[in-house]
Amino acid sequence: MLELHNIDLSVGGRRLISGLSLNVAPGEIVTVMGESGSGKSSLLSYIGGDLDPAFTGRGIIKLNETMLNGLAPERRHIARLFQDDLLFPHMTIGENLLFAVPKMPQNQRRDMMHTALRRAELEGFETRAPHTLSGGQRARISLMRALLSKPAAILLDEPFNKLDQTLRQSIRDYVFSHIRARDIPALLVTHDAADAPPGGRIITLPDMKRGSDA
Amino acid sequence: MSRAFTSLPLLILFVLPLGASVVLMAPLFFDALAFQALLAHPQFWGALRLSLATGIASTLVSLILAIVIIANTRRDLVRDSGPLLAIPHLAFAIGLLFVIPPTGVVARLFEMLVTGGDQPPQWIAAQDPYGISLTLALILKEVPFLVWAMAGLLDRDDLRRVLQAHVCVAKSLGHGSRSTWFKVLLPQLLPSIIWPLVAVFTYGTTVVDMALVTGPTQPPTLATVIWRDLNDGEAVMNARGAAGVVVLSFVILCLLLVVGLLLRLGRSRIHGFYSRYPTPENSPTAILRQIWGLWRLSYLVIGVLLLLQSFSGQWPFPNLLATHFTIAGWQQLFGNFAPLLTTLCHAALASLAAMIACVAWLEWQRPARDHFVLLACGMALCLPSLVIGLGQYRLFLLLGLTGTQLALFLAHVLPVTAYVFIMLHGPYRAFDQRWSATASGLMVNRQRFLREVKWPMLKASLWAAASIGFAVAVAQYVPVQLAASGRHATLAMEAVTLSSGGNRALIAASALALMVLPLAGFAVAARLGRSRWSV
Repeated sequence: MLELHNIDLSVGGRRLISGLSLNVAPGEIVTVMGESGSGKSSLLSYIGGDLDPAFTGRGIIKLNETMLNGLAPERRHIARLFQDDLLFPHMTIGENLLFAVPKMPQNQRRDMMHTALRRAELEGFETRAPHTLSGGQRARISLMRALLSKPAAILLDEPFNKLDQTLRQSIRDYVFSHIRARDIPALLVTHDAADAPPGGRIITLPDMKRGSDA
Repeated sequence: MSRAFTSLPLLILFVLPLGASVVLMAPLFFDALAFQALLAHPQFWGALRLSLATGIASTLVSLILAIVIIANTRRDLVRDSGPLLAIPHLAFAIGLLFVIPPTGVVARLFEMLVTGGDQPPQWIAAQDPYGISLTLALILKEVPFLVWAMAGLLDRDDLRRVLQAHVCVAKSLGHGSRSTWFKVLLPQLLPSIIWPLVAVFTYGTTVVDMALVTGPTQPPTLATVIWRDLNDGEAVMNARGAAGVVVLSFVILCLLLVVGLLLRLGRSRIHGFYSRYPTPENSPTAILRQIWGLWRLSYLVIGVLLLLQSFSGQWPFPNLLATHFTIAGWQQLFGNFAPLLTTLCHAALASLAAMIACVAWLEWQRPARDHFVLLACGMALCLPSLVIGLGQYRLFLLLGLTGTQLALFLAHVLPVTAYVFIMLHGPYRAFDQRWSATASGLMVNRQRFLREVKWPMLKASLWAAASIGFAVAVAQYVPVQLAASGRHATLAMEAVTLSSGGNRALIAASALALMVLPLAGFAVAARLGRSRWSV
């Protein structure tokens, strides 16, 4: 369970988000909608622990009963997906996946990598360079890499934005089904209502620029 | 203005002389007698070993230290390293002369604090037979260069955004700061500093002026052996020296090829490096964070020591300060005004000419042609100065220019243009084309646009490039000495000549002048290049 209590976010004295409270259950994907500049990406940075110092954030974040506030990003067990697939260009596909596998005997690590490749339907791509893959293939590897780190929650920052229309639907289904299968809480931010999983909860951030908090 | 015409300054001042110098080296390959004479030289193998040892050691240690500094320092390293880069290597080597050797400050401190005797210690010497002091001087000077090269990459907007995102992802996958640095950032940075590293290695292996000052003597480095032969009165000796240049360059090339091949083969074997899970996280220790500060401090200390020494008369061992102070050193320096004037005029002229040539090219030539100029710049930076200097000398002989002011000018302008073009290329090509469209829309013609919009907007980069050019010109030794053929002297040439003598105050004054000139150029450029809104 990912719990947010009374989150405030502001930048340069301007309030972006105020008093947001939210519980996301394991396997649930909650969508946060908002215009650009509404602070939805900063909300994910705040939860992930790397909010830009220009912003100030307040409010408690708990993951499976553990307080995350003040914890380094790498200790939060929260995976993230962005608009770009952000596969490391200097590593092969296999190395990109192994990079995320937690400590365990070497043959088990390799087994996990191969399982991930199979799930991405990209068996045999282990020694390929990221730039030789198509956008859809890279998006699947990116998700698999995030899931290999055994995250306790996952944050999705408009991850379908740069995919073309035909690809978008299939990648959406792919991402959602894998997240549900892991039974971890997920938070998706987007400005496109079509990105939200069908039947899922949707929270719309008020547009603070127009002074709705007045 | 015709488009072709604007490419001429760069071609005539830089590309053609560079090409001609390299081509004119070719006949040397067929002088079998000279090669035999070189191999028969009793010091050849020892000298070659020393050259390679200093080159390899200084490159590796500089690289490691630069990486440690980049990883642990939270400062604007690009801005910080600028003035450090401007100081000529030679001034630095001379400064070390007053720190290391038997009567240097280190020895004096050691005597005072530890042994309490009044005899200079024998175990410590500037021109040690292993080339340790030369290596140390090289490291002190090359680290800021590598730091600057890497920090400059990290500072580029496009790259920074991507790398920041990579850091964010690596952390979300459970990697701590150190692991992220070594597995995600460093492997992406290293390939882009390959050429700076090659330049550092060839420089360290073939440097002449620093080796003459702090290098070993029995045997000396191969570059020094070659240099003595080249400056000899006899043609046979000159030919042996030329053969030495060819052999040393060939050895360097072979070494670089072998390293390149090993890196390529090793690429497929470093799988485990990326997959090993997060290295244990210990936060950077205080000392690592302070290295960069210590580096800057060491430059300051050397400057202060040179200043003290330049005013010192008698300075018996082991006193920490001289017993007599005098301005004789400075009087002698200014009494022999020609070298100072030659350096000032040629440095100013060369940087001005290089600026005109580079701006003319960048403004009126198509960007698609830049890569061939950049290639030439890379060559000018990575080829040993002995190769370019000797090639140029042969060119001047052919044209009957040796010993003329024109030859001196050309010898200065070639390396200066290489640096100026590299400095200007990025900012100039990154200039947003929409400014020009906006100006055209306002019915402003090209000349006025350049004069009132583009160049003022680029003035920080333009002045920075000019000041680097000036500093590079002040530091020239090998090509200028060969071109001058004994008829002119520059400050750098004077400093090398003096350093083997015993007039310590004058040596220090000349080294300090060598340090101050580029720094002054730097300060002036920073002042002129600042934005009108900064206070």
